This record gives sequence, structure tokens and C-alpha cells, in this order.
Amino acid sequence: MPIGYEDITILITGTLIAICCALTGSLLMLRRMALAGDAIAHAVLPGIVIAFLLSGSRSSPFMIAGAAAIGLFTTFSIEMLQKKARLQNDASIGLTFTFLFATGIILLSMLAGQVDLDQDCVLYGELAYVPLDVWITPSGTVMGPRALWVTAVLCLLLLALIIVARRPLLLTTFDPAYASAIGVSVPFYHYLLMGSVSVTTVVSFELVGAILVVALLIAPAATAYMLTDNFRMLLVLACLAGAVAVAAGYAMAATLDTSIAGSIATANGLLFMLAFIFSPQHGLLFRKKRKPVIH
Amino acid sequence: MDYAIEIHDLTVAFDRKPVLWNIDAHLPAGKLIGILGPNGAGKSTLIKTIMGLIPAGSGYVKIFGQPLKEVRKRVSYVPQRETIDWDFPVSVMDVALMGRYAHTGMFGKLRRADRDIALDALRKVGMEAFANRQIGRLSGGQQQRTFLARALAQRADLYLMDEPFAGVDAATEKAVITLLREMTTQGKTVLVVHHNLQSARQYFDHLLLLNTRLVACGPAPEVFTPDNLRDTYGGNLTLLTDVANLMHQEQHPVRENKLQQE
Ligand SMILES: Nc1ncnc2c1ncn2[C@@H]1O[C@H](COP(=O)(O)OP(=O)(O)O)[C@@H](O)[C@H]1O
Ligand SMILES: [Mg+2]
Repeated sequence: MPIGYEDITILITGTLIAICCALTGSLLMLRRMALAGDAIAHAVLPGIVIAFLLSGSRSSPFMIAGAAAIGLFTTFSIEMLQKKARLQNDASIGLTFTFLFATGIILLSMLAGQVDLDQDCVLYGELAYVPLDVWITPSGTVMGPRALWVTAVLCLLLLALIIVARRPLLLTTFDPAYASAIGVSVPFYHYLLMGSVSVTTVVSFELVGAILVVALLIAPAATAYMLTDNFRMLLVLACLAGAVAVAAGYAMAATLDTSIAGSIATANGLLFMLAFIFSPQHGLLFRKKRKPVIH
Repeated sequence: MDYAIEIHDLTVAFDRKPVLWNIDAHLPAGKLIGILGPNGAGKSTLIKTIMGLIPAGSGYVKIFGQPLKEVRKRVSYVPQRETIDWDFPVSVMDVALMGRYAHTGMFGKLRRADRDIALDALRKVGMEAFANRQIGRLSGGQQQRTFLARALAQRADLYLMDEPFAGVDAATEKAVITLLREMTTQGKTVLVVHHNLQSARQYFDHLLLLNTRLVACGPAPEVFTPDNLRDTYGGNLTLLTDVANLMHQEQHPVRENKLQQE
């Protein structure tokens, strides 16, 4: 199979999205909030539909801002239900995101005639469309695929955020009580992360859809978690695992002539299984006991 | 007298159920202070309120005569073991270095001196050899010492420790108490939530007995009385037996001294 310009744009965009998801997903997993990432990925749907209706385009700043707002609202609502209604954490999450997701589905099917937003595309993603949606500046210069630019910018922003704020992100995740004891605002970093997850999700939905984006958030992080005990290494390996899954999944989809998103998600799952079996530290084959050494 | 902590009419409630009720206590600086009380007495809540982690319903706390936010850097905290995720990808050294964040801030540079201080703290608790070990691969005692090293690396003046001896072997407990004693001789104040009545009497200079209300607070020999302990622990049978044993020991001081020497 010859690799053309289209394949390359798709692969680069896919890899960038996988990196964004791996970075935010790793932080979520360490916070034991993977499920909240799942919730946000679903809950942003009504935001996407409404923003699309208002702005008429995908990947618009409008849509991204709308998604961030809904993501924060989701986080807030989950916490409120837990604290005020005294629901369990998983019940709060289930209640919030199914309600928002369902609202999104209803909006989507009601507006199906009016907006050019394909239900399948939103739910399952369509990476093949990436090269078709080209960004043209008002002066007429063709800048290339819009999604490529958006994901590249998001990727740089997330990298910058994680590099600059690695210390408070790590500390508020690992030991929030100590963090706030020495004067760090734990809620601030919590909402910052949730905002990042929301934006990442919205930008990613074109690639893998609102449902399978969860695979990109969680699986690479889980794979990396099998392979290392080091925070920095965890982030690096998660990005790598995400990128490899995109390439492998894309090749698989081309060979089998099947869904790209489905293939990428499957590749992610297979990678995790490999890591789970062969990891030198925690793998099934060479499991060293993680039991404490008694002194 | 200099007070490390002044607690004024402190009341804390969860869902309108009071967990701490009208606590009023002054804790002297430079002492090893124990907080005793049954499960659910509000010991952890008291520590967290002192640290500003839980808002006071009414009343207030002063640390070294000032509000907490003026003296944050001078206060360190060792959390209860169960609150830590031991699978988290951080090493012993990573944890010790966190103690320096109070000084460098979240975005400031960690200098060589900071690393040296962290390493020195690890050396003091005998964890230097494990600096690169992930924290889940340590024994309970080593894990506790790692967090103690973080507190030491902060070079604070007041240390708040929530059950540092839970899940810790006897040797570590002894070594840590010696270290804490040493710190108090250098003028540091150490506040420890403790659950073992047997050892409390020997370990601490000062005791605070708590059961939602303050039962007693003062120098250990004055406060550690059967009446106070009964008020603190209520009719708990096994504990009352413990108290009876302790009283028995008190009537035979010679024997107690002998035991200590062994
Ligand atoms: N976050 C919380 N929400 C509701 N109740 C709590 C919370 N934390 C503690 N409590 C309650 O407050 C009481 C005191 O708890 P705690 O301070 O942990 O006791 P101790 O440390 O002395 O065992 C307990 O009855 C506990 O159930
Ligand atoms: Mg407690």
C-alpha cells in the first residue's frame, strides 16, 4: 500500500491527538478519575452540537470554548451530586454524563436536517475526512487541513502546561492534603485538568468519535503504567503507546478495509495486553512481587 | 510561655454533626505532644483543621501567635498512611524533595542545596539507600520514614503527624521517637496522633485527650490519670483493662523502670 499525502496528514493528526489524550489521560488515571474522563467525553456532545449550530464549523474556537465549559460543568455537577445529594461517586458520574449525552443525541437527531453534522461521525469519528476540511485564510492562502493545525496547537499548549506546571500537577494528584497544606490551590489544578480533558475530547471527537476517545485517554496511560514506576517516563511512554496505536490501527484499517477509529481503539487494547503480559516489572510473565521488603 | 498552637473555641461539624466541640487548648512550643482519643474522636479532623484543610465551623487556630497563612512554610504535615496511593509512580527521593516545594514554590528552581537537604533528611531516617525505590516497594516502616523525611526536608518548626506508628515495626517506632525527641531539643514542636495508651505515657511531654470535646490537655504526668482516660475512652472494656494495667504498673514504679532498661 503506497503512502500518500492524505495518509501522512491523517497519521500526523492522529498521532498529535493521541499525544494530547495520553497526556491528559495519564493524569486522570493517576487521580483515579479515568471514569470522569469517560463522562466528560460523552457529556461534551450537547456542547458540540450547540456550538456547531451557532458557528457552522467544526474545530472552531467557539466549539472548543463551549466544550471546555460543559466539561467543567460536568465535573462540578459530579461533585455536587456527591456532596449535596450524597450519591456515590460512580452513581454521580453515571447520572451526569448519560443525561448530557442523551441531550446531545436528541439535539443531534432533531437538527439533523439543519446542520451538516453527521451522527455517525460524532459518535464514531471519521479520520478519513481530515484532509478534506482545509483551512484557507481570508487572503486566500491554503494552510492545509484545519484539524492538523488545531491538534498541533492543542498539543503544544498541553505540553507547555505539563512542563511548566508539572510540580503542582504531580503534588495535587499524589498528596492533595500536603499540597493544600503548603498553600497550593488543589481545586484550581483539578479544574485546570478537567478543562484540558474537555478540550482534548472535543478536538479528538473527529478522529475517533465521542465514544472511542475514551480508549485514547485511558489505554495508553494504562499501558505506560504497566511499564514504569517513574512519573516523567509514564507520560513519555503513554504518548509513545498512543502514537504506535494510531499507526498500527491505521495500517490495520487500510489492510482490512475497516473502521479507522475501531482499529485504533483495538490496537490500543492489544498494546495494553502486550504490556500486561511482557512488562519486566508488573507483567504476568516476569512478575516480581510488589510485596514490601520487610526490614 | 511560648505557644506553638492556640486553639480557641473551635467547633467543626460535618453535615451539621459536630465532630469537634468547643475545643480550647494551648500547646507549648518545643515539646513532643501526643493526641489521644478513640476512633472517630476527631483527632485527624483536629490536625486537618489546624492545617487549614478543613474549615472551622466556629473558633480559630493560631500558630506561633499568627494565622496559618503567615506561617505555612514553618508547618509540616505527615498524612495518615491510608490516604496515600502507594502505587503512585514516585520514588523515595521524589517524596523527600516535595518537602522543599514549600520553600521553592511550585515554579521555582530546585537547587543543589535543596537536593542536599532532601538527601540529608533521608539519611536521618535511614532511607538514603532507598532513594530511588518506588514507594510501593517499601515496608510499612520505611514508607512512614519516607514521609517523615519529607517533613524534615521542609525544615519546619511545627510538625503534625497523623498516626505515624500505624503499621510500623517496633524498631522503626523507637528510632522515630528518638528522632522526634532530638527535634524537640532543637526547639521544634512535634504533634503526634497516637493510638497506643501503653506507650503514650513514656513518649510524650504533653498530652491532649480528645473525644469530640477536649477531655484534658497538659503535661503528661498530670493529664494521664484513670479518670481522664475513662472520660476519653468511655466504657470501652479492653481499654479499661489497659488502663487498669497501667495503673498497676504505676503502683510498682520499680518494675516499670526495670522494664524500660531492658
Ligand atoms: N469528610 C468527612 N465527612 C463526613 N464525616 C467525616 C469526614 N471526615 C471525618 N468524618 C467523621 O468525623 C468523625 C471524626 O473523624 P476523624 O477526625 O477521622 O477521627 P479520628 O482520626 O479521631 O479517628 C468521625 O465520626 C468521622 O466519621
Ligand atoms: Mg484518624
